[in-house]
Amino acid sequence: MHHRLLLLRRGAMSIPPPPAPRMPGVAGGRLFASLPPPPPLQSPREVHVWYLCPDELIDRSQLDMYTELLSPSERKNALAMNGPRLQKDAMLSRALLRTTLSRYTDANIDPRSFEFKKNKFGKPEILWQSDESSMEWPLHFNISHTSSLIACGIAMDTPIGIDVEEKKRKTVKSILSLARRYFTPLEVDYLAKISDSDAQQREFIKLWTLKEAYVKALGRGFSGAPFNRFSIQLETNSRIQISKATKVCNDSASGCDYLSENWRFALAELNSSYYMSVCIEDNSRGLYSLFFLM
Amino acid sequence: MAHSLAAAASFSPPAARRRPPSQVTNAISSRGLVSFNSQRMSFVSIRSRPSQLRFKICCSAKKETVDKVCMIVKSQLALPDGTTVTGESKFSELGADSLDTVEIVMGLEEEFNITVDETSAQDIATVQDAANLIEKLVLEKAA
Repeated sequence: MHHRLLLLRRGAMSIPPPPAPRMPGVAGGRLFASLPPPPPLQSPREVHVWYLCPDELIDRSQLDMYTELLSPSERKNALAMNGPRLQKDAMLSRALLRTTLSRYTDANIDPRSFEFKKNKFGKPEILWQSDESSMEWPLHFNISHTSSLIACGIAMDTPIGIDVEEKKRKTVKSILSLARRYFTPLEVDYLAKISDSDAQQREFIKLWTLKEAYVKALGRGFSGAPFNRFSIQLETNSRIQISKATKVCNDSASGCDYLSENWRFALAELNSSYYMSVCIEDNSRGLYSLFFLM
Repeated sequence: MAHSLAAAASFSPPAARRRPPSQVTNAISSRGLVSFNSQRMSFVSIRSRPSQLRFKICCSAKKETVDKVCMIVKSQLALPDGTTVTGESKFSELGADSLDTVEIVMGLEEEFNITVDETSAQDIATVQDAANLIEKLVLEKAA
């Protein structure tokens, strides 16, 4: 049994505006008429990630069209961000989510009409209308962004978490001091053995995104899965493993009851500048493989 | 206030039942208000039940603490000159992602010589929240 991870790039603004909508009746459909329907999500072991780079989206009229898809509260939240760049990123993040979800419902659902709720720990989810005429799709999503890239992961029937980070992101604190404060002893040892500081920094970022992706997939908030209670092991030529940090778990009052190990990870490079980690829940013992779609 | 009073106090039933209606009227309305109407001082025992409510620390931190937090936040996020950071500033709106946040928390721990656990850190939304938590932790440490 294979896992498939498809990485898909949202078209940049260099694509000329489409001549006629191919999805009539779907408001906002003309924005995406130039894009083919997405490949279907074939199984719960398949994850699709759509990403875009805000710096490439500079056409004001297109940005306005995307903004128009947002709910009033999303617009308000985006405008509350500090400065035009952060505001734009926030708008695009929501637009990417809405349009992506719409495409995975065979464009039956208008991007504007999605509603969202938060689970009791604050993780966003789709709120499906309770009227009989509408369908429900077992879609799970998660969004991540850095200053220059926004990614939206979609999965069917399985919780998902994703995290993206610039490979070369510089930290204010030293790598080992951050690791000692927040990671497990196993992970600190792994990093401490790397003598080249650039390589060490990149491995730290890999571990960081993997741990973030897990916490986001679990959906219990950061206090639900403290970083120092689980280890991620990156072993070349074999799969990425997660394990509970037994000693810390035994010592802590709440233990590690909510931490489960039946999760699959993928680590990918995006645009040669980013690491992206994806985490989905899995109860099978399938082989893991990674596909790129350009 | 009325709600917390209702949660914290209960009247011992036997004492209440012994009272003749003409002397005491204990009224507990649906909103948890407690009132007595009595000509005589009567003995009423109040047992407090442990409150299930979690109280957020609301007392405001010193300006000095808020200023220090602002300073640490500004340097971590490398905000452009002239960006205003105040107690009301929300970390998310300043563009702090999770790695920024943990670095800020670490910076605050070093500056104030405290340890912030994940549960407390998760509740921090604004600079003021951070400053309030810091002062609470500093007090707890000194106690």
